[in-house]
Amino acid sequence: MAWIKRTWTPHEADEWTKEDWLAIVLSPLSYILITFGLALSLFMLTAGFIMLGVGIVITIVMFWVIDPKLSVISEEYESKQREYLEDLEQIQRWEEK
Amino acid sequence: MSEYTGAVQFTGLDFFWGIAYILLTILSGVFFYKLGKRSGADFFLAGRGLPWWLPATSNFATHTATDTPMWFSGFVYKHGMFGVWQSLFAGWCAISAWVSTRIFRRSLAGTQAEWQTLRFSGLPAEMMRGWMAGWQVALNMFIAGWVGIAMGNVCQWALGWPLWYGLVFFSTACAIYAMTSGFWGVIIADVQQGITMLITIVLVSIWAVMAVGSPQVIVDKIHALGRPEMLNPFHFTGWVSGDYPLMWLITMIAVPFLGGFGMATHFDWFVEAQRIQSAKTVKAASYSIWWGAAAVIVRNSIWVIAVLAFFVLHPDIQDESAYQLAWFRMGFEYFPAGLVGFFFAAILAIHFSTISGILNLGAMYATRDLYHHYINPRATEKKVIWVGRLMTVLVLLGSFFFGIMIGKDVTKWLFFALWLMVAGTWLPNILQVVWWRFNGWGYLSAWVANLGICWLVVWILPAFGILPELPQFYQFWILMAAVALIYIPVTFLTKPDDMDRLVKLYVQTRPIGFWGPVKKEAENRGLLQVLHKIELKAEKNAGKE
Repeated sequence: MAWIKRTWTPHEADEWTKEDWLAIVLSPLSYILITFGLALSLFMLTAGFIMLGVGIVITIVMFWVIDPKLSVISEEYESKQREYLEDLEQIQRWEEK
Repeated sequence: MSEYTGAVQFTGLDFFWGIAYILLTILSGVFFYKLGKRSGADFFLAGRGLPWWLPATSNFATHTATDTPMWFSGFVYKHGMFGVWQSLFAGWCAISAWVSTRIFRRSLAGTQAEWQTLRFSGLPAEMMRGWMAGWQVALNMFIAGWVGIAMGNVCQWALGWPLWYGLVFFSTACAIYAMTSGFWGVIIADVQQGITMLITIVLVSIWAVMAVGSPQVIVDKIHALGRPEMLNPFHFTGWVSGDYPLMWLITMIAVPFLGGFGMATHFDWFVEAQRIQSAKTVKAASYSIWWGAAAVIVRNSIWVIAVLAFFVLHPDIQDESAYQLAWFRMGFEYFPAGLVGFFFAAILAIHFSTISGILNLGAMYATRDLYHHYINPRATEKKVIWVGRLMTVLVLLGSFFFGIMIGKDVTKWLFFALWLMVAGTWLPNILQVVWWRFNGWGYLSAWVANLGICWLVVWILPAFGILPELPQFYQFWILMAAVALIYIPVTFLTKPDDMDRLVKLYVQTRPIGFWGPVKKEAENRGLLQVLHKIELKAEKNAGKE
């Protein structure tokens, strides 16, 4: 699926892109479909199984889209975290430069 | 209180489960004493190094409180599947996991109050930090009291104890491990509590189905009772009229889900903020929020069948406080002897996980934001931890006061506290994340105005007949608009926040939305490595050719 970018550089991953927006749209859908899909499935109602199935597929697609980007953001950020934590302590103790 | 007045009969095995569980929980918490006392970051954030599944389990466990099966049973008993929408406020995590969680984790702010001094600058930032910290201390006392007295009600109904026994005894047990090992104790106890409660929730639903016969029998009986709409989550009664108007549903969906773009749009955010910062990485934080809330919605779905099984067994209960006990009654009345004690242990797990987390959270705001930032900025780590322990006791004592005050009206305040008390600040809480020009004075004015206006619109004006008692979704939108009339002019009449502060925040957290001027300034200062980006793009294009 060439439309979905799955290889990122740290600089590219820092920008908000269509992959983020896809996750933002799919995520609520996933919650709603799983909630009612599972509840209705427990009553053995067909509509429930369909909703639950679609909800699970949407969840898998969402993670497939967002995971590579989030991994790169995460790794890049961790390399700077120590410095940021030192800044934070300075603010806490009113020692900010 | 209920049509069922007999106390639950405990066998020796039931007592064993209950007592063993209390000891196990306290000991598993106390076991992490050494980790908790290493530093302030350990006492309040478990050292900022947890894998995603630990805060996710804690998220699930903390948001399954003693009052949760009560109000959830109430909604579903009354409205059927449609009532489940009311429990979807956990939906804020759907968008938050990918937006505000990511931004907040990158800020590294230990609390939402601390975020104020990173996002805004000058006097309003400090005023907001102090205000939010004080409010959170009081709110956590209130929540611990509210959940604690729910336990008092359950114990009174099941065991015949005086109301305050369940409140004082079990909350004090939580305080023991919250005080000794801080957030380490809370999070480790949450894991075993989360697993215990999920197993029990599944077991109660299985027993509930067996009590009626089968899922199909429940469906048939609901139809026979003339209530087929109870199985339809999309049963509307019009746009704005009737019990189930579409406008209500839209409010229910839009408010929590869109709230995920902001921070503090729901009071659960403050609890999650602590878990977000306890996660080892940005990705772990996002995953913990998404999966924690996913476990919450799965839990709700499993609860539905137990409550509707109770409905077909007892279809004529009119007293709300009686049918709110549906889930508890299914467990106590249908589990065999021996398993009743296990059920009681699971109720303790539900209770302990919430109370311990709330005590630690309230203590964190009191210690890190009030004591350490304003009273003693030079405090040593050792001193910070000891003050943290003292503040845990303070929040515990406050919870007793609020718990006794609430008494039996456990769910009376629910909608007000969950939705209406945050209505006026809902949009500002999003604006602080998505719009660079929204400044500290605007945000501060929104909080102050909201505090007065929400009480006026919801309680005071209707009490004097000046304003009619409106449906809650109307109240929500009125509050949002009324408070906006104050903070929007304030924002434009005051200066933007200090550009140095905004650039620093932008580079560190990369917020979503309208941050154009700040981004440009960061680029001008060479902080976003624009040239490097152009080089990467050029390399890529060259590769394509």
